Amino acid sequence: MSGARSSAFSDRSGAWLINAIFIATFLITAFLIVTPLAALLHGSFQTGSPGTKTVFTLQNWADLGSGNIIHTLLTTCFISIVTAVFSTVGGAGLTWLVYRSDFRFKRGLVAAVGLSFFFPGFILAMAWVILASPGGIFNDLLDIEWLQFDIYSITGIIWIQILHIIPFAFFTLRGPMISMDSSLEEAGYASGANPWAVIRRVTLPLMIFPLLSSLLLCFVLSVEQFAIPAMVGIPGHVNTLATELYLLTSFSPPNTGLAAAVGLAMSAVTGLSIFLQRQIVRRHSAPTVTGRGYRVRPLALGRWRFLADGICLFYVAMSFIIPALALIYTSGIKFFVANPFEAAWTWRNYVQIWQSPGTIRSFWNTLVVAGGGAVLGLTLGTLIAWFTHRLKPRGYRTLDALASLPFGIPGIVIGLGFLWSYVYLPIYGTLLVLVFCYVARFLPYATETIGAQIVQLDKSLEEAAWASGANRLASFRRIILPLLRPALQSGYFLLFIAYFREIAAAALIYTASTQVLSISIWAFFENANWGVASALSIVTTVITVALMATVMRAPLKV
Amino acid sequence: MGISVKGLVKRYGGKIVVDHIDFEIADGELVSLLGPSGCGKTTTLRCIAGLETPDSGRIEIDGRIVFDSATGRVVEPYHRDIGMVFQSYAIWPHMTVFENVAFPLRVRRTPSAEIASRVTRALERVGLGAFHDRSSQQLSGGQQQRVAVARAIVHEPAVLLFDEPLSNLDARLRDETRAEIRQLQRDLKVSTIYVTHDQTEALSLSDRILVMHDGLIRQLGTPEAIYARPNDVFVAEVVGTANFFNVTVAADGHAVTPAGAIFHSSLPASPGPARAMIRPDRLTISVHSEPKTQPNTLQGTIRQRLFMGGHYEYVVETEAGSPRVLSSDEFAEKTAVALSFNPEDCIFLPA
Repeated sequence: MSGARSSAFSDRSGAWLINAIFIATFLITAFLIVTPLAALLHGSFQTGSPGTKTVFTLQNWADLGSGNIIHTLLTTCFISIVTAVFSTVGGAGLTWLVYRSDFRFKRGLVAAVGLSFFFPGFILAMAWVILASPGGIFNDLLDIEWLQFDIYSITGIIWIQILHIIPFAFFTLRGPMISMDSSLEEAGYASGANPWAVIRRVTLPLMIFPLLSSLLLCFVLSVEQFAIPAMVGIPGHVNTLATELYLLTSFSPPNTGLAAAVGLAMSAVTGLSIFLQRQIVRRHSAPTVTGRGYRVRPLALGRWRFLADGICLFYVAMSFIIPALALIYTSGIKFFVANPFEAAWTWRNYVQIWQSPGTIRSFWNTLVVAGGGAVLGLTLGTLIAWFTHRLKPRGYRTLDALASLPFGIPGIVIGLGFLWSYVYLPIYGTLLVLVFCYVARFLPYATETIGAQIVQLDKSLEEAAWASGANRLASFRRIILPLLRPALQSGYFLLFIAYFREIAAAALIYTASTQVLSISIWAFFENANWGVASALSIVTTVITVALMATVMRAPLKV
Repeated sequence: MGISVKGLVKRYGGKIVVDHIDFEIADGELVSLLGPSGCGKTTTLRCIAGLETPDSGRIEIDGRIVFDSATGRVVEPYHRDIGMVFQSYAIWPHMTVFENVAFPLRVRRTPSAEIASRVTRALERVGLGAFHDRSSQQLSGGQQQRVAVARAIVHEPAVLLFDEPLSNLDARLRDETRAEIRQLQRDLKVSTIYVTHDQTEALSLSDRILVMHDGLIRQLGTPEAIYARPNDVFVAEVVGTANFFNVTVAADGHAVTPAGAIFHSSLPASPGPARAMIRPDRLTISVHSEPKTQPNTLQGTIRQRLFMGGHYEYVVETEAGSPRVLSSDEFAEKTAVALSFNPEDCIFLPA
């Protein structure tokens, strides 16, 4: 096997170039992924912080068993399990409404879910603080004792996370739902089963593995969620592993060694879940359509349609419309009051954005990191996908494993790893550290998007180019790249948006000169400057949504 | 010259797919690789193209060694001077018809004036002269197939390789295209390997047929020879419908069925149990008149009659078995009939 693989490259003419590119891709990937992990492992056995004099110790790992950490672990698991169950059920319900029923507002619903999908978690959390903190709009306006809701609580974290993660479940489930052979369900009707029996006995059993897979992904998303528990958990003294790690690192006296151990333990939980999820996907894909172009007859909702409309409207309102309105309101008033009729309206929050050099700087930083970083991330991801799916030179499996590793590592943990390792490098304190960190964190986004497209391309398209006399590099340039263009475009904007709004990975490694928008918003918010924070959030959201609307039409199609 | 394959071995994992095969193809000859799916025919073709690297063996194209496991020589597919037509056609969707066909010339840095004239000639050759600027997305299956052929011949390669090129076309188009490929190959006089699982294609197109099974060559010969004198039961069935009768060959060369019918063959056979093979079109059907047993005659009853258009296909029940028989004469079902055949149309194959 390996003999045959390597001999694919043994031709002397031009092959050295491909070899060199492969080796470079491999080394860069290994450097980006392995360095922070190795540094974390090293750090977890050290006393003190990176950059200071440290000694070997086992204390950090022993401290993982302390009551405090165990309590945090249990809290995190509780939050994440509840979030995962509700998000998957919610996502499945929405998917079913759109792809199996005669729900009236399919296009609108998919567009709204798409909007919530791109609504950054930290902005959603901020909006909900404005809405439902003890002095917030809801609690103030609805001055009724038993209707008071404190967002600074476990329930608050779970509530915001469910709203945030439902779109994700929707987009993971709709693929299997669309491609499921609808004749299987039609056969159910033909056998005399009523719609509910078909759902229960055909659709659900066929979707069980996609549902399980979605459950695990939502669980991982929830465990690694940093912004939401940071904004509503820390004030309410509810800590998850992610915020614990942040507090251990950022407040004195820092215990970076213990943070590293916590980060590795966290990665073990998420990594294992991702591993399970991939096994499920690999072994049990739902039976798919065999090239027929028509869909199952949509099921009539009848009088249930008002309930369906109501639930969807409620979801859309809670996850996007009301939070966005709350932000717009807060961004337009001088001092925060819950009642709009008592508010003093102003533009000064927006004006302040343009007058603050720090904010303008973080704006440019974000554009550089997102715009330029996405080029790097996409290039690396495309090369990895091409090597691992097509050329398969010796070592491609290792490369594939390395590139998918960040899937299982929470953003805050990667940030900590970069903190541990890059302190020693001359680029520390520059935007490059952020770029490298984001490229590493979101590498699977790039490899999956491009890889999925490469797999779709018939292998003989490339082979025909070889048979026509074009070498591998020429075939890649003239056949593969042009055919990948749609995937490259959507991959670029997916990365751009991910980098643009990332907060977890940046929280530990930004410095005064490398502050990015997400961090600025958070800082304004923490300083109780809700007005500017809201104004900046709205600018950020508008940019994200505008980009999504112009380029990423794909997720919005019914 | 042509193509020479020696001791070719290809394994996937531990499974051997091509098992030490040798064959040679003369200059300008068209050889079909025929066999059921999984027999190793496509793998053999892909090894010759350089799309798979064999585990051992030697391959020469036009007198040039392109693979030799003894010396470790592997020539990349793009340096083998081949033209290949893929089963999926592999027409690049982001290029026009012209650009698809021009590609082999472009990568060879042919001057653009020459490219224009050669692409035009190639497209005219496959009957797509007017399709220059058509987007490759707007082509029917048959047109895509023609573009694929034009692309394979435009640079006048040393060999042409076809990987089941007609399997995605409908029956009528398949017959038409088959004849055109034959004509094209005759005109170009280029050594050609044609992989197919369709016996009609192999029989009608080929100078010689190479029948493969389980990675081995079962027989290599002209279509006529393979059809009339297959080496074994497998080959007999691969190249057409065959009737088999269990017989025992005696020392004097005659064979006897368990029910006592006597078969004579003009071809030699070794004594012992054997299977007599007779093609359905070589059995003559006549109304049963005399009960006496003659050599090369079977008594029976028509069990089933299928009207095929130009002729009838009968299933005749006899003591020796229920052979299929083709005849242009009409007989009613349940008619008692006699089947007879000439000694040169009967062949005894190893049981």
